[in-house]
Amino acid sequence: MIQISENIKNRLSTLVIPIVLLLVWQIVTSGGYVSSHFLPSPGTLFHYTVKLFVEQGFLLHILVSLKRVLFGFLIGSVTGFLFGLLMGLSKTAEKILAPTFHVIRQVPIIGWIPLIVMWCGMTELPRIIIISIAAFYPITLNTFSGVRSVSKEYIELGAVYGYKRLKFIRKIVLPAAFPSILTGISLSVGMSWAMLMAAELFIETFDGIGTRIQLGREKFNMPLVITGIITVGFLGLAMTLTAEKIAKVLDRGRAIRKES
Amino acid sequence: MSIEKGTLEIKALSKSFIVDGNPLQILNNINIVFPAGAFISIVGSSGCGKTTLLRIMLGLETQYEGDALIDGEKIVGPGLNRGIVFQDHRLLPWLTVGENVAFGLEKLKRKEKKLIVDEHLKLVGLSGFVSAYPSQLSGGMAQRVAIARALASKPEILLMDEPLGALDALTRMYMQKELERIWLFEKISMIMVTHDVEEAIYLSDKVVIMSSRPGIIKKIIDVPLPRPRDRASSAFMQIKAEILKEFHLETEYPFAYAI
Ligand SMILES: Nc1ncnc2c1ncn2[C@@H]1O[C@H](COP(=O)(O)OP(=O)(O)OP(=O)(O)O)[C@@H](O)[C@H]1O
Ligand SMILES: [Mg+2]
Repeated sequence: MIQISENIKNRLSTLVIPIVLLLVWQIVTSGGYVSSHFLPSPGTLFHYTVKLFVEQGFLLHILVSLKRVLFGFLIGSVTGFLFGLLMGLSKTAEKILAPTFHVIRQVPIIGWIPLIVMWCGMTELPRIIIISIAAFYPITLNTFSGVRSVSKEYIELGAVYGYKRLKFIRKIVLPAAFPSILTGISLSVGMSWAMLMAAELFIETFDGIGTRIQLGREKFNMPLVITGIITVGFLGLAMTLTAEKIAKVLDRGRAIRKES
Repeated sequence: MSIEKGTLEIKALSKSFIVDGNPLQILNNINIVFPAGAFISIVGSSGCGKTTLLRIMLGLETQYEGDALIDGEKIVGPGLNRGIVFQDHRLLPWLTVGENVAFGLEKLKRKEKKLIVDEHLKLVGLSGFVSAYPSQLSGGMAQRVAIARALASKPEILLMDEPLGALDALTRMYMQKELERIWLFEKISMIMVTHDVEEAIYLSDKVVIMSSRPGIIKKIIDVPLPRPRDRASSAFMQIKAEILKEFHLETEYPFAYAI
């Protein structure tokens, strides 16, 4: 009984701020305190959003954006994982690669856009490259530190049972570094999504959510801008939650450890 | 004459660690033979170098003076002919109990693996825990899984670093019996570090007494009692007194100096 009411309480407390905001929004707009040009009422916005999805193919733009993020994320996280693994496993590789990596990392990702566009043109490629750079850093760093912090005890155990190279990496290093790698993946998902906006806003194109928001600004279409932002927010949330959920499922042994 | 499989020999072995830039001697001129098939315990105060000696025999420490030989050959690294139960159980938290026990059985087929795992979990009394995770076990249970893992890869020599240290008194006595049974059954050499003198006498053919700073072998005491041994027998008590006497000397000297 107590547990159930606790649960409901938790749910309700999550909703407090959104409900207050919605109320304020409704009052401010229906009271005529702000022009509907700057802020449409919740009802108007809702109607517009439905129309947007049903009649104007907004879903297609979402899918285009998701595709960009997916490709960028996959490329960035796979290369980042391998790169981090290499630096983590080999001190020599670290000595050679890490200094350059850390210097390059100082350039804000958006700073690469002009150069990449000049090389590749205003095509799909630079957008995906930018997103993959965003996904690359967190995975690299977390994989590296995860591999480096595999405890000496486990490494000795591998030695005792004659585990070498690939088997050693597969059976000891990767499982031990797994939580760290998962953290890297979660961060990368978030970074990719954030960088998608930059990629669509700065490397102009005709499709994608970011482009829709930009179009809304140019046409002074406030409902479009707001719908776009809300969609971006919720999709980002959904992705992060999905990533966390998958991480939890994969990390079954550790999940049990936390419980007990 | 060929040396029987399962013989470990330490000759004039000294070992130092570098501590704060200076070499600190941990083991000094250790000479001892662990004959094939024997059960030998090592007792000694904390920090006298017991774990270090085991690590040398295991092949994890290779920087030392003198010789460490297995079956007459220099130990150059770990090998599957030696099993180890570490002082910490060292089970991998991401593997189930069964997978942990199978850790040294990579080369076998699934079926064979399962058979050996079941057999060894039964041996340590944990048959129902194949798919449990180490985090769900008590310290003593984890240590028993570690024993099962070490035995599963069929070593000639089993090295154990306080394997029963985490057990309660009753389980401990039960496990001592089990260890003896396993030893008699498997006919392998066992070398066990322990702090429990009674345990050492109950199980061992010989008890090696070490003293510290730097670690030397102070005395090796034979235990020529028939098995299974009776802890209450006078012969048992006598040997216990003899061993404890060695410890007393060690602790009494500092007092004598202080006074
Ligand atoms: N890698 C190391 N570097 C420096 N000193 C070490 C190292 N390993 C062990 N020592 C030192 O060597 C000494 C012996 O350690 P060891 O672990 O062998 O003792 P022990 O007899 O097993 O003690 P215990 O009964 O407490 O387990 C200790 O003083 C310890 O501090
Ligand atoms: Mg020790």
